[in-house]
Amino acid sequence: MSLRVDGLHKRFGAVTAVRGVDLDVPSGTFFTLLGPSGCGKTTILRAVAGIYAPDQGRVLLDGEDITARPIHARNIGLVFQNHALFPHMTAFDNIAFGLRMRGVSRAERRARVAEALALVRLEGLGSRMPAQLSGGQQQRVALARALVVRPKLLLLDEPLSNLDARLRDELRVDLRALQHRLGVTTVLVTHDIEEAFVLSDRIAVLRAGQIDQVGVPRELYRMPVNRFVAGFVGPVNEIALTTVTALDGVVWGTTENGGRLRLPNEAAAMSGGAAWLIVRPEHISLAPDPVANRIDAVVEDLVYAGAATRCRLRAGGLSLAAQLDGEASGLTIGAKVTVGWRAEDGVVRQDD
Amino acid sequence: MIRTRAFSTHLRGVGFVLPLLLVMLAAYVWPLWQTLLNALHPNTPQGIDTAHWTAANFAHLSDPLYLQVLTRTLRISVIVSAIAGLAAYPIALRLTRMTPRWQPWVILAFVSPFLINTVVKSFGWSLLLRANGLVNTALQALHITDMPLRLMLNETGVIIALVPGHFMFVLLPLWGAIAAIDPNLGWAAGTLGARRWQVFRHVVLPLTWPALVTGLVINFIMNMTAFAAPAILGGARTLVVSVLAYQVNLEQLNWPLGSAIAVALLAFTLALVGVGQRLAVRR
Repeated sequence: MSLRVDGLHKRFGAVTAVRGVDLDVPSGTFFTLLGPSGCGKTTILRAVAGIYAPDQGRVLLDGEDITARPIHARNIGLVFQNHALFPHMTAFDNIAFGLRMRGVSRAERRARVAEALALVRLEGLGSRMPAQLSGGQQQRVALARALVVRPKLLLLDEPLSNLDARLRDELRVDLRALQHRLGVTTVLVTHDIEEAFVLSDRIAVLRAGQIDQVGVPRELYRMPVNRFVAGFVGPVNEIALTTVTALDGVVWGTTENGGRLRLPNEAAAMSGGAAWLIVRPEHISLAPDPVANRIDAVVEDLVYAGAATRCRLRAGGLSLAAQLDGEASGLTIGAKVTVGWRAEDGVVRQDD
Repeated sequence: MIRTRAFSTHLRGVGFVLPLLLVMLAAYVWPLWQTLLNALHPNTPQGIDTAHWTAANFAHLSDPLYLQVLTRTLRISVIVSAIAGLAAYPIALRLTRMTPRWQPWVILAFVSPFLINTVVKSFGWSLLLRANGLVNTALQALHITDMPLRLMLNETGVIIALVPGHFMFVLLPLWGAIAAIDPNLGWAAGTLGARRWQVFRHVVLPLTWPALVTGLVINFIMNMTAFAAPAILGGARTLVVSVLAYQVNLEQLNWPLGSAIAVALLAFTLALVGVGQRLAVRR
C-alpha cells in the first residue's frame, strides 16, 4: 500500500507543528521521518494514523483519500515509544485485541496470535502480563499486536528509544528482517540517525515542521541540501568562506584569515558570494595526496576509539575535527602535522 | 550499641503516633466499646442496669417497624449510590478532557456541596423544594405542572439532597484513575479497530473499575449514616436508621436499644462494604 501526504498543516493553539508537508511513500518501502525533537515528525505520524485531524492537507492510502476517515476504520498499525500495551491484559490478549475488534473467530484468533508471537520470537510468553515482560519483550508484543491485523501501513513512533543500547541493536536487526519479509509499507519516526540509516530505504529530514530533504541515506550524508541536514546526519567541520571564486575551471574559496581552499567543481554556481565549506571528519587525513587541500596543523586533542582515532586540530584560525584511521601512526598531542582532504569531499552550501 | 540505637529510633517512631493513638482511643474506640456494652445491658426506668447482661435489645431489632426503617435506609442509599455511579463516568470523562485552566474550577464545583454544613445545606434544600419553594413556583410558572410536586418530606427529598452532597466521593477517585490512563492506550485501541465505546468498554472501564467501586463504597457509607438530610428533608414518615437511633437514644432515653441500633447499622454497613470490595477485586 502506498502512502501519500499532500500539503499537511497542523497547529496546536499558537504553535504550528507542521507547515506544508508532502510525502510520497511507495508500496513496500521503509520510510523514515528524521528530525530533532519538536520538528513535527510525531504530529505527521499521528495525522496519518487518524489521531489528529490535519488543519489542511490530505492523507492518501493507495490513492484513496482517508483524511476524514476515523482512526478505527483506517487499518493502520501503530507502535508507540512507550509500547502502550494494555496493562490489564496478557500478551496474548493484547495481540488478540485487534482481531477481537474485527470479529475474528476464537479459533482463528488463537492461531494468528500464536503465529504473531512466533514472528517476534516470543513463543510461550503469551500468558505473561505486560509488567512481567522486559522492555524489549514488551516492544515485541506491541509490534506483534500492530502486525497481527495485517495493517495496510505500519507506523513506528520511536519504538526503540526507550530500550538500552544492546537491545536496541538487536531489535533493530529484527525489525529490518521482519519488514523485508512482510513487505509492509512502514513509516518510522526517530531522532536517531544510525537507526534511520540502518532501517530506511528513504529518509525525510525535518526541521521546524517542514521537510528539508528527502533521499536515500547516502544522498543525505554526501549531498546534504543545507548546513542543517549536513550537521544533523553526522559530525561536520564548517569553514566560513568569505568568497567563492571560479578561475579557469578550478573553484577556490577564501577563508576568513585569507587562506585559499580548493572546492568541488559544482561550487562554481556560488562564485562571487559567501558560503560555508562542509568537510566531514573522516575525510580529513594525514599525508594527503598532492592535489588535495593541504593544511599545516597542531594536534590539540586526541581520543583513541578503537577503529578510529578522533583528533582536534588547530590550523591558523581554524579548529578542525578529524577522524583518522586506526592507530594514526603514533600521533601525540602538540605534534605538528600536515592534514588535508580531497576537494570533491567538501560540500559548499550558502546560508539556509 | 547498635541495638540500643535501633530501639531508641523505634521508640521515637512510636512517640510520633502516640498523640493520635490516644485521641483515637479516647474519642473513637472507647465510646464504640461503651456503645457495644450498653447494647448488651437491659434498660430500666432508673437507667442502664449494668449488673445484668441481655441480648434482648438486638432481638428487638427484628420488629417489623425497625426492619422497615432499615430497608428504607438501604433503598435510599442504593438509589443515591446508583445515580452517582451512573453520572460518574460521563462527568469524569468530560472533566479529564477539559483544559487544565478549567479543571480545578469544575472540581471545586463538585466538591463545594461537601464544604457546606449539612444542616445549613438541608435547610437550603427545603427552601428550594417545599410546596411554595423556588422549584415548584418555577415549574408552575412555566406551566409544566399545575399543582406543587411533593419534593420533600419524603424519600425523594432525601435523595435529591444526598446525590450532590456525596457525589465527590465517587467522582474524585474515578477522575484520578481516568487521568492516570496513558492516552496512548486509547489511540492504540483505536488503531486496532476499536470504536469509542469499545475503547471505553475494553480499556477505560476495566482500568478504572476498582476506583469506581472504592468511590461507591464510601458514597454508600455516607448515605447509610447521613443524618441531617433525612431528619430535615425526610420528615416524620421517612425515618432512617440514624434518625431512629437519635430518637431512641435522646428522646426516649433508651440507651441500650439505641446502642443496639447503632451497632447493627455499623455491622450491616461494614458487611456490605466487604461484599463491595470483593466485587471490585474479582474484576
